[in-house]
Amino acid sequence: MTSLDASMDAPASVPSRLPSSVPVTARRPIRFTGQPRSYWRLLIRGAALLMVTLGIYRFWLATDVRRFLWSHTEIAGDNLEYSGTAVELLIGFLCALVIMVPIYLAFFLAALDIGLIGALSGGLGVALLFVLGQYSIYLVRRYRLSRTLYRGLRFHQDGNAVVYAIGASLWWAATALTLGLTLPWMQAWRERYKMRHTYYGTVPGRFTGAGWRLFLRGLPLWLIVFVPFAIGFSALTEAYDPETIRLVLRKASDDDIIARIEQLDPGLIDTIGLAIAALSMAVILAGLVYPLFQSIQLRWWLSGLRIGEMTARSHLRTACVYAAYLRFVAYILLCAIALMLAAVPLLMVFGWLLQGDDVALWREAAAALIGLGTYVVSMLALSTIYHATVTFSLWRLATESLALDRFDTLERVTAAGGRPSSAIGEGLADALQVGGL
Amino acid sequence: MTSSGPAVFYDGATNERHAVTVTLEAAGLRIADAAQRTLAEWRYDHLESVSAPDDVLRIGLLHDPGTARLDVRDPELMTAIDIKAEGIDRTGGLARRQRATVTGWIIAATVLLLLVAWFGIPSIAGRLTSLVPAGLERRLGDAVEMQTRTVLDTAGAGENFECGRGPREQAGRAAFDKLVRRLEANAGLASPVRAFVVRRAEANAIALPGGTVFVFEGLINQARTPDELAGVIAHELGHVAHRDGTRSVLQGAGLSFLFGMVLGDFVGGGAVVIAARTVLQSSYTREVETAADAYSVDLMNSIGADGSALAAILTRIGGATEPGMKILMDHPDTRQRATTIRARAEAPHGAPLIDAADWAALKRICEQ
Repeated sequence: MTSLDASMDAPASVPSRLPSSVPVTARRPIRFTGQPRSYWRLLIRGAALLMVTLGIYRFWLATDVRRFLWSHTEIAGDNLEYSGTAVELLIGFLCALVIMVPIYLAFFLAALDIGLIGALSGGLGVALLFVLGQYSIYLVRRYRLSRTLYRGLRFHQDGNAVVYAIGASLWWAATALTLGLTLPWMQAWRERYKMRHTYYGTVPGRFTGAGWRLFLRGLPLWLIVFVPFAIGFSALTEAYDPETIRLVLRKASDDDIIARIEQLDPGLIDTIGLAIAALSMAVILAGLVYPLFQSIQLRWWLSGLRIGEMTARSHLRTACVYAAYLRFVAYILLCAIALMLAAVPLLMVFGWLLQGDDVALWREAAAALIGLGTYVVSMLALSTIYHATVTFSLWRLATESLALDRFDTLERVTAAGGRPSSAIGEGLADALQVGGL
Repeated sequence: MTSSGPAVFYDGATNERHAVTVTLEAAGLRIADAAQRTLAEWRYDHLESVSAPDDVLRIGLLHDPGTARLDVRDPELMTAIDIKAEGIDRTGGLARRQRATVTGWIIAATVLLLLVAWFGIPSIAGRLTSLVPAGLERRLGDAVEMQTRTVLDTAGAGENFECGRGPREQAGRAAFDKLVRRLEANAGLASPVRAFVVRRAEANAIALPGGTVFVFEGLINQARTPDELAGVIAHELGHVAHRDGTRSVLQGAGLSFLFGMVLGDFVGGGAVVIAARTVLQSSYTREVETAADAYSVDLMNSIGADGSALAAILTRIGGATEPGMKILMDHPDTRQRATTIRARAEAPHGAPLIDAADWAALKRICEQ
């Protein structure tokens, strides 16, 4: 932990890492001054209030988190400002409900129709909700940019959310069909579209990252995960025999399923074992290379960002990303131990509440509350730890690893973009659960 | 007391950085650049402190869509402005008070939503149920029936999932229909009942929206007299008469909306949503079951059959299964049910519902 803490306390060392041949005036360092301790406090208080308010507090927590991250990001001596409010998010959400309820109602009624419409409505519904999710992601970005101020000037985003939603959905479909191989081109398309419609005042943005560059860097990782996955998957297809499954599951009761499979097809157990081993291998490898992939993608993305003539270059170090995830795992383990220790008295209370044959309803209600409460506390702890370690570190690493060239071209920018946009996209994203931070 | 100090000013029109001197005057701040030109004059009661790191006091104008900002880093100037301007409080007391008020309101809203879940949704669903036209209810029933068959038919029997189709089962099917028609004739239902016996080992029966009733094979095996079986079917006809299936679909939709969308699945995984739905929905249905029991006894009384037979078969089935948690049980306590049923039942009179030969055939309805 000492080395991790040291890296947290040394933001000043980042500028010194830059090559000394470049004049300091051309490259303006970005500093992140947020303290992990304050961020933890903010998240823990937020989690407690989320629990008490059954989640309604989320609009206030999201606003607090963004204010914290934005305001502690200092570019050339000036801090970013997040000017959105929780009430805006709440109103946006209520408006989104007004849109979503008729849609859900229409799906419900369509599902009652037994004919073609009924059969289609399920798949069609999923597809439509997916496109709507992409649509709201674009609007979310518009809201957040128009609430981002730097030196008294707003960012803003134009462009057509419908075009983005359709394009992104088609790219997602292609990515799913190619098992992720076209992901780099999808990311490039999405970032190009978003940045082309992004402005700081009157200055337009661009994205210059090329899909094939990300593809070449990501391909080895894809192969590492795909090979065991392919082995496991082909073993499963080989083992798949509807007749055997039907026979095995026919009287799915207490007798030993494995024994029955053994009896029907002696080689099957080995094939299934191989499939399970290979697939778990793929999952473990995916978890191991995920931070590496994230670091590659983050570097690629940051280095492709352009605003006017200003260019960005990221020197993000992969080891730091791994350190963030290691911290996450360490805190999760600590938290699990704490929960287990807390479980002993809780189980005793639980047993006391439910003892006897005829248990009163209030005792059952109390026991149920304890059970549900434990679950809610663990889930909230998980998300709090994730945000306090991974999200926090990635934000810090992304900003501090950034070198901005020709920043001086952004010295005299004029305001543009008119009024800030509405929060309805945030509401839609919340209702569809695609929002994120 | 400081009356002026350095700051940085952005006018909101360009991103130019103005190094300024801020002078505290009687009514407001005067912001002037190095050449003593006044760039802005802001009244104290219009000032608002906006989000910034702790060591910066960033001031904007209240209720102003513009984005002019004044960044003060000089501690003495900060304190001086803090004292003059009501909307700025560096101690954080103002922000804490506002936050406490907001939190109070959110908690009040949460309590209100829980009250809606407990009292509002069953009452709204009850009222909406009577507004659902019969045609729509029928369609809803068909959709639910298709789903229920898929869920229940785990062995993949398809057409054969229903008992009474095979050549040796047809006599049983006829006897079963006779029993159902006898009950239905006296039930006075708005739409015809479609009742089936299905191959499931559990001793149970379910009523779907729109008047479809599934009787499980296990129940036929457990029933010792025609009146016991008739009592359970009459109970299900009670659900049909009270349109409980439709109401339960509406309640489920309401709860999903409330817990899934308005409150949001704030911990992910859907477990809280499912738990809340299960507990609340079973609390709604406990009353509904009592009403269906009463309906069954009244119907059995009216045709001269033994209304208390329902209590007998319930006790036998209920005794066989493990006692679960009451909070999750959608049926009231079996002993209490049996007592209520026996108290309501009248002594049987008149001919049996079906004769001994029909009953023997009915018992063999699932013996392919």
